[in-house]
Amino acid sequence: MVGSKKPWKAWLYLSPAIVLLLIFTVWPIINTVRMAFLEGYNALAVAGGKKFEFGFANFVNVIEYRDFVTCLKNTVLLCVLTVPISTFLALVISVCLNAIKPFRRMLQTIFFLPYVTNSIAIGMVFAAMFNMVGRNIGGKNELILTAGIINNVIEFFGGQAINWINKGSSEVANMTVMVIYIVWNALPFKILVLLGGLQSVNKQYYDAAKVDGTSRLRTFTRITVPLLSPMITYVVITGFIGGFKEYSSIVGIFGEKMGPTSNPYRLDTMVGFIYRDLANQQGRASAAALILFGIIFVVTMLNLYISKKNTHY
Amino acid sequence: MKVVLENVTKIFPPRNKREKEFMAVNDFTFTVPDGKLIGLLGPSGCGKSTTLYMISGLQKVSGGKIYFGDNDVTNLPAESRGVGLVFQNYALYPHLTVKQNILFPLQNLKGSEKLSKKEMLERAYQAAKLVQLEELMERKPNALSGGQQQRVAIARALVKMPGVLLLDEPLSNLDARLRLQTREEIRRIQKETGITTIFVTHDQEEAMSISDMIVVMRDGVIQQVGKPQDVYDNPTNLFVAKFLGTPPINVFNGEVKGGKLYIGEECVLEVAGVADQPVTVGIRPEGFIPAEDGAMTCNLTNLEIMGRDASVVATHPASCNPTIRSIIDGDCKIDTASATVRYNLKPHKVFLFSKENEKRIEVAAQNNDDFLTAALKLKYSKS
Amino acid sequence: MTDQKNFAVFEADIQKAQARQRVVRIAVQVFLYLFLIIMALIVIFPFYFMLISSVKDLAEYRLPVQTLWPNKIILHNYIEAFHTANLGTLFSNTLYVGIVSTILSLIITVITAFVFARLEFKGKNAMFAALLATMMIPGELFTITNYQTISNFLGLRTLGRELGSKDLIALGDWKNTFTVLIVPFLVSVFYIYLLRQNFLQIPNELYLAAKVDGTSDIKYLWKVMIPLALPTLISITILKMMGAWNSYMWPRLVANDEAHRLITNGLRTAFTSVEGDVNIPVQMAAVAIVSAPLFLVFVFLRKYIMKGVSRSGIKG
Repeated sequence: MVGSKKPWKAWLYLSPAIVLLLIFTVWPIINTVRMAFLEGYNALAVAGGKKFEFGFANFVNVIEYRDFVTCLKNTVLLCVLTVPISTFLALVISVCLNAIKPFRRMLQTIFFLPYVTNSIAIGMVFAAMFNMVGRNIGGKNELILTAGIINNVIEFFGGQAINWINKGSSEVANMTVMVIYIVWNALPFKILVLLGGLQSVNKQYYDAAKVDGTSRLRTFTRITVPLLSPMITYVVITGFIGGFKEYSSIVGIFGEKMGPTSNPYRLDTMVGFIYRDLANQQGRASAAALILFGIIFVVTMLNLYISKKNTHY
Repeated sequence: MKVVLENVTKIFPPRNKREKEFMAVNDFTFTVPDGKLIGLLGPSGCGKSTTLYMISGLQKVSGGKIYFGDNDVTNLPAESRGVGLVFQNYALYPHLTVKQNILFPLQNLKGSEKLSKKEMLERAYQAAKLVQLEELMERKPNALSGGQQQRVAIARALVKMPGVLLLDEPLSNLDARLRLQTREEIRRIQKETGITTIFVTHDQEEAMSISDMIVVMRDGVIQQVGKPQDVYDNPTNLFVAKFLGTPPINVFNGEVKGGKLYIGEECVLEVAGVADQPVTVGIRPEGFIPAEDGAMTCNLTNLEIMGRDASVVATHPASCNPTIRSIIDGDCKIDTASATVRYNLKPHKVFLFSKENEKRIEVAAQNNDDFLTAALKLKYSKS
Repeated sequence: MTDQKNFAVFEADIQKAQARQRVVRIAVQVFLYLFLIIMALIVIFPFYFMLISSVKDLAEYRLPVQTLWPNKIILHNYIEAFHTANLGTLFSNTLYVGIVSTILSLIITVITAFVFARLEFKGKNAMFAALLATMMIPGELFTITNYQTISNFLGLRTLGRELGSKDLIALGDWKNTFTVLIVPFLVSVFYIYLLRQNFLQIPNELYLAAKVDGTSDIKYLWKVMIPLALPTLISITILKMMGAWNSYMWPRLVANDEAHRLITNGLRTAFTSVEGDVNIPVQMAAVAIVSAPLFLVFVFLRKYIMKGVSRSGIKG
């Protein structure tokens, strides 16, 4: 490092970043905390000259609000379902990819494809795949023209068409669609990271294991997985963070109503909650945002703690 | 258990269309006697590691046979051969402790070979004791020095009591001081266990110092097999002569005329029974005796006194290298002010090689000749 | 004699074991490829579905059992989609926002990363640590306040209303402008971090040599560091452009008028309904048009995208 003789120069160079960060990063942190602790805070009332008391009312308000429980339940459910599934699938695919030679690059590229897509746009494609076209679906005088390609496949294997996302669809069906879509969306990043990790594992570990007559399964569980554990931790943590912020993939499939027409906001999430309160209930929105941050923070720390306990190298 | 390699060949297929296939090991035949320590020695890329990997079973042979004892193991996969392999960078599992690393091979045993937990621990501690690691059993490899990691790797290879122990460049990742210490350690462990051990190295000093036998390789072909001292004293070709010895052998262009060896204009040695021909002459650094009326005249460059010995750096018009280096007794007086230095040669330190194929040209009775009488004879024949 | 016999048994055993091993190896390979190919088909199926549906006519799409290849290829859906969603305006808006914000963001990122990598001043490390800490905070937490900030920037709108100055009001109210889509996201701590790491790998001796030769900081940055960090800069550019293309929530919130709407938001707004009897072929055509640039970028710049994305692996 070089000690500059003119320290003001460094600050001059930094000034654009600092100004922007102060306005759009530092101030929001302070202000959000402030709003969260001012009871019933909303910006309109502030303009009207109203003063607010300090307190925890916003947090109580958030938790007592009926929708919030739905949002929290949906968010946690999506996380708990999608993160293990996508991590496991990504791990299996990466290990398989790492074990083949011809066509590896091609397959790798295909598996990366979902990453470069727009979650709203491809959400619309998924919706179309699960959508039944017809009249009054889920109601009386039902007339189904086409049950959608997924139902076609189910029927092909002798199953019954399921109302996935249309009016009158069940919550389980809705959630299933969301889980499939989110897992599909989460795979590429996880595969990229895990495959990168696998390829950087020294081949000699495998040679050593082979000379010692280690079975494939034992090699996988005792060598590959432990050596990959930092990467696995990383994709699990980012998966949880992304999962707790789930919003646009639901908008992609169900639209802004966050649910089938018969049950709007059935699939609402924490972020959805914050967005709905953002323009007129800033106090409550801020409290919800802090709760979200708290959850993410705790889950991340927990993950790090668990993985630290299991790997010390 | 003795290890026999019979016409073993390894051909690597071309990596792309432009490349040709590559013969890494060519018709390799030799026998490692039971309980000996053998060094595979050669410059990098000579096929020595490939040979080791073929013995371990990690690489398949393209042709030939490998026997462990009387059993043909040529097509046996690595896990069924029962070899212990120590990798160049040790390949210790970083997430396991020393103990877990050593236990790892034992936990793979199945069926009738399966051991109880207690037996495994006993064996692990036995192996650890052998390499003097008992105190470090709970550490992770990252908390160990290079030498200690090396010992863990050896313990891991030994714990399953292999018939053959293979070491790939065991000392190359250690610093100079540790290297000396570890190579003695390897020798000791090998002696104590009596396991047939094969190790690969590019460092001739390392190979010479601890091996019972060395195999010198070049471009996939065996150059010479023998006891280290025998190979040093009797190289079969110029390559082996050049490869062994520090400082390296001095090489000159010379000519044999009428039973006498000429380097430049000077007749330096009598070589009975050798036909007249141009030859390449190799003279070991310790083969020079400074003498005021010596047969060979060199241009003196420098004198480096290193305690007991002295090293004379000189040049000679017929030398194939820029300088020639000789090791002489520190008591010998050399006039550093003089521009030249004259030597007599010890006949058994002088090797003749054919200009055509670099093969050694035997000189009759050379080795038994007392060099002093030879030098005297030479003196008289000159005058 | 017995030895001979044992040896023969041994030999046979080896051969059997070998045969078994070969079978297992081939079976494993077959299984691997089968599994990977099935997974790959599942992964690309939505894209395939999008493409075939986008060229079907509505009647064919409504067949009880969907066709896996269109009976008749109709390109008219694309024209209709383009008009329905007003994709032309959306494209140009998004490109404008993407390009301007990428250029400005690159400049700020490069300079900031340079300062943190090469210059020495009091409080540098503490400040950098504080910057990194902000990466942990979910963006939604900022959005609440930022929404207020851009509605009434530095209180200028309130001030303008009090003074009755229309100019001041306009200066304070950023809603429905391109500014609001660009300025709040110009500084990305993650990109600064990424580039700083890259800069740090360039040996300091180069900088000292440049100083000895009297090269100015800016010139050194331009002549030495930027060329050496070019792959990272390209990665940042692509990710930033993709960000503009894919951003939904913020644009939806603050610039939802026709003139400033960005493409993802526009797409969603144009096709609000996803279930029931909607014209899915046209929807799919629109989605295909919106996805096409991303695919082109992916095809030509895959290396940089993958590098940028996987390098974010350092972040954890």
